[in-house]
Amino acid sequence: MSAPKQLLIIDDDPDFVAGIKAILVKAKYAVDVAHNPKDGLAALKAKPYDLLLLDVMMGRGAEGIMIARKLGKDPKLRDLPVLIITGIREQMAFLFPGQAVHPHFVNVDELVEKPVEPKLLLEKVEALLQSAGTRKAQSS
Amino acid sequence: MPPNPTILVIDDEEVVLDACTQVLASGSCQVCTAGNGAEGLLRLEEVQPDLVFVDLKMPGLSGLEVLEKIRAKHPRMVVIVITGYATVSSAIEAMKKGAFDFLPKPFTPDELRLIARRGLEHHRLVQQTLSLRREQEMLRENFAAIVSHELKSPLGALQQNLYVLVAELDEQLSPDQQQRFARLQTRLEDLLKLIHSWLRVFSVDINKLKETFQPTALAEVVAKAVESVQPHATRKGISIEPTVTEPLPLVNGDAGSLAEVVVNLLNNAVKYSFPDRPIQVRADAANGQVRIAVTDRGVGIAKEDLPHLFQDFARGHTQPEGVSGCGLGLAISRRIAEVHGGSISAASEPGQGSTFTLSLPAVAAAADSPPSPNSERKV
Repeated sequence: MSAPKQLLIIDDDPDFVAGIKAILVKAKYAVDVAHNPKDGLAALKAKPYDLLLLDVMMGRGAEGIMIARKLGKDPKLRDLPVLIITGIREQMAFLFPGQAVHPHFVNVDELVEKPVEPKLLLEKVEALLQSAGTRKAQSS
Repeated sequence: MPPNPTILVIDDEEVVLDACTQVLASGSCQVCTAGNGAEGLLRLEEVQPDLVFVDLKMPGLSGLEVLEKIRAKHPRMVVIVITGYATVSSAIEAMKKGAFDFLPKPFTPDELRLIARRGLEHHRLVQQTLSLRREQEMLRENFAAIVSHELKSPLGALQQNLYVLVAELDEQLSPDQQQRFARLQTRLEDLLKLIHSWLRVFSVDINKLKETFQPTALAEVVAKAVESVQPHATRKGISIEPTVTEPLPLVNGDAGSLAEVVVNLLNNAVKYSFPDRPIQVRADAANGQVRIAVTDRGVGIAKEDLPHLFQDFARGHTQPEGVSGCGLGLAISRRIAEVHGGSISAASEPGQGSTFTLSLPAVAAAADSPPSPNSERKV
């Protein structure tokens, strides 16, 4: 049995984080949490993670999007898979319900909307980890 | 009044130009002049005046043509026409075309000053209305942001934790308790959906849709919409019967939001239909328009409710039992129709049912669109 995958959640809503962290911990992931962009970036530099769960709308602005942009520019972090969590599809574009805006900030990312059902969350996390693994195997 | 209002006078008679300049410039106005219509239009773009005088009778571009060109490009420009003795009827025609007022020749300096002052005052009010509207627009956007963040986030967190609780307690819950949880989740879900609808109405600049318009086949839109509503209808024992009369011209639009309109209409039809009565969806083309009509045989709509149907938060007074909704579906649909240059209308007979019709302008028949093999097709 391999070591648990290391996940980081960056989201400024502790109650929401509690809700997704419990699901991930139960599925045997090791989960760290940062409640603001600054702590989040520090955590990303302090140790390697397998996946980042990122709230794109923190605070009053799109601070999460700024983090995603920074990741995209950082050669070390560019390949970190990111699950973007959003509650904002309506403000970004006018789209048919069910379709969310997928900004594609980094190489491997996916989008879910708040709130997210446990099954869907785990599926997305698993799929992201796998596609990141495949990518790595191909490039090495 | 702006500190130094600019007035443009367009007239072929130099005497008039001179007189106007003299009279108006003695106030604190800047006056510029043009001796014919074409020059006037050029000057207008240069100086962006607060008020324009145009002589109706000029060689070359006539005053009416100048007026039309100005109004087409600057719908809020205040234009006063100058007219000779016997041309009251043309002055009236000019007013119908959007002139603010008319000034009969010959006029006294006082008459000119008076009418100029009124015109500038009108200009000021128009500008004020515009800035108020912009302010209102900003308030609306801020409101939407607040609704989004302050209401949606806590509800999202609530729902998220409920998901976890249900998963964690799965085995230990009695059927009754499971039901209570399900009820909690449904109500939360409804609230979140309601907030989404609000945001769509208040915050979104629907005109952005236009940026991604594409030639769209409505038959596919109808098929997609029917597919999405079908399960809901089946539960009520209602069949949906679509008929597409080919050839159906393409429309220029956004397939997703057009499907949303049809879904809204179908959902309403299912909602208000009597059980076991079919719903007709007909798509056809006539007079350069493509129409989608949704007909139900349900409770119908009272005459007095019809005019308010497409307003925000409008719902009929006579709601059948168990019907819920926030009354935004039709308002959103109307906006989507309008942004496509189309319209949406309703006809109804209480107790018999209703027909909602979405009309959209057809794209001018393109030579490269393949002819359809069969003329009448069921989707």
